[in-house]
Amino acid sequence: MTRVLEVTNVHKYFGGVRAVQGVSLTVQEGRVVGLIGPNGSGKSTLLNVVAGVAKPTAGSVMLDGRRIDNMPAHRVVELGIAKTHQIPKPFLGMTTRDNVGVAVLYGSRKDRDLGRAFDEANWVLRLVGLEPHAETLAANLTVQDRKRLELARVIATGSRILLLDEVFAGLSPDELREAMGLFTRLQKEIGFGALVVEHVMRAVLTLSDRVIVIDEGRKIAEGPPQQVVRQPAVIEAYLGREAARAAT
Amino acid sequence: MRLPAIRSFGPTVWGIGLFLILLAGSAPRIPVFLLTLVIGLLIWATLAYSLNLITGLTGYVSFGHVVFMALGGYALAFGIGTWNLHPVAGVAFGAVVGAALALGIGVVTLRFRGVYFAIATLVVAIAALYIVLEVKELGDGQGLYLPSSVGFQPLAMFYTIWVILAIEIGLTYIITHGRIGYGLRSIKSDEDAASTLGINAAQLKLFVYTLSGLFAGAAGGVYAWNVSGASPYQAFDLGFSLQMLAMIVIGGMGTLLGPLIGTVAVYLPSQIFLTIPVLGGLQAIVIGIVVVVIALFVPGGIVGTLQKYIPEFRGILE
Repeated sequence: MTRVLEVTNVHKYFGGVRAVQGVSLTVQEGRVVGLIGPNGSGKSTLLNVVAGVAKPTAGSVMLDGRRIDNMPAHRVVELGIAKTHQIPKPFLGMTTRDNVGVAVLYGSRKDRDLGRAFDEANWVLRLVGLEPHAETLAANLTVQDRKRLELARVIATGSRILLLDEVFAGLSPDELREAMGLFTRLQKEIGFGALVVEHVMRAVLTLSDRVIVIDEGRKIAEGPPQQVVRQPAVIEAYLGREAARAAT
Repeated sequence: MRLPAIRSFGPTVWGIGLFLILLAGSAPRIPVFLLTLVIGLLIWATLAYSLNLITGLTGYVSFGHVVFMALGGYALAFGIGTWNLHPVAGVAFGAVVGAALALGIGVVTLRFRGVYFAIATLVVAIAALYIVLEVKELGDGQGLYLPSSVGFQPLAMFYTIWVILAIEIGLTYIITHGRIGYGLRSIKSDEDAASTLGINAAQLKLFVYTLSGLFAGAAGGVYAWNVSGASPYQAFDLGFSLQMLAMIVIGGMGTLLGPLIGTVAVYLPSQIFLTIPVLGGLQAIVIGIVVVVIALFVPGGIVGTLQKYIPEFRGILE
């Protein structure tokens, strides 16, 4: 069965700050949805709401028709939705393999057998190219490898919908090309669905099947990548009204 | 839960096992004053491993662990005095009380993190003393004392606390080497990241805290048996909490061997200090200074530091 994540009219307020104001979107297993918008537009907040890290002020998040917005983060992972951290949060004192092993042991598969779990962890490490660093303490990984580890961990949870928060940010052009190649390969091989928050336009436009643009907590555009970036509202949100007028 | 295979036991496990077996074998043959010293050592080791379960494995520092010890002791004295329990059954009752108390306290206090949890545990320990002082059934502020029919039974005490400690160390090993151990290390490292990987942090913390209360309650029971009762100001002495903390900080928090090493390093010198009247008061000062120095300069304690700087020890010590 193809799993479907449905976000319906979600609002999230922090006191007087209205970070997200009525955003709806759908992510299907096997499909990649890009979520873009200027800084502070509410993208990361929306991901946190979906992941169960933050509770929505209003609206609902459903997985296969089942409400998950009232569940704690660990329950959401058990159901098959996992999120990377914008700033990688590896368990610094553990090896790379143990970091991934934890995700297998506690993710949606809940495999209690250590031997099998670490076989699985090794498979994921090979998949993302972290195998040479399996025994390295996460504290000694480079920034690029820590981002890979974030990706490895969410894959290791066995989740069918991944929430990726700026996994392509801060990479050199070569690293970016490599990371995008890796993502495409993984996505084909595993077939997960993904909601990808990203500032790097090249990555979003290339990888996404569909793109959603939000600005000041509201959805201002949605559609196929190349079409969305030509819309005046989007150009205005990024570059200002003058640029939007000039472009059209 | 699957039990670890015997052939996977490292030198540390064999070492601790050998130490315990030698103690058990020699107990009937050693003079009583030495046996009392050993009983004290085992009681404190049980307390140190108990604190290690929560503070060592999750990083949640408990300043109020004495509360489980004290009420374990009161439970024993109450059980013997009121229901005429056998002392060993009294110890078991102390363990149950300790576990139930930890479960109840943990549900509330484990919601706090870092220093807030530490302060909450301290407040609970202080409050518990004043509650106990008002409870008629618990001696109405005067304490509970064992009837004289319960004589001094050093060997029975020794084997009781020996079994408790052996079970506790065994459980620590099983927990740290299994799935739960990975979960706990993740929580200790980054609780938020742990929960985004599917770890139910609240449940795991409560599990080890309850276990911790169980063993501290049992140790408190044997302690009260040993001193023939529980009197409020002595039983709730916050110095006990600090001594447990000192033991695991000095020995090496979260390790299998550390609490034992720390107990020996703190308990034996403190017994020597106590025999010299002038130095008695200095004990706390010395322990305090040692703990501060270790926390500042060698946070891994004895075991952690050996692991860090002597690579040969890494595979041996755990």
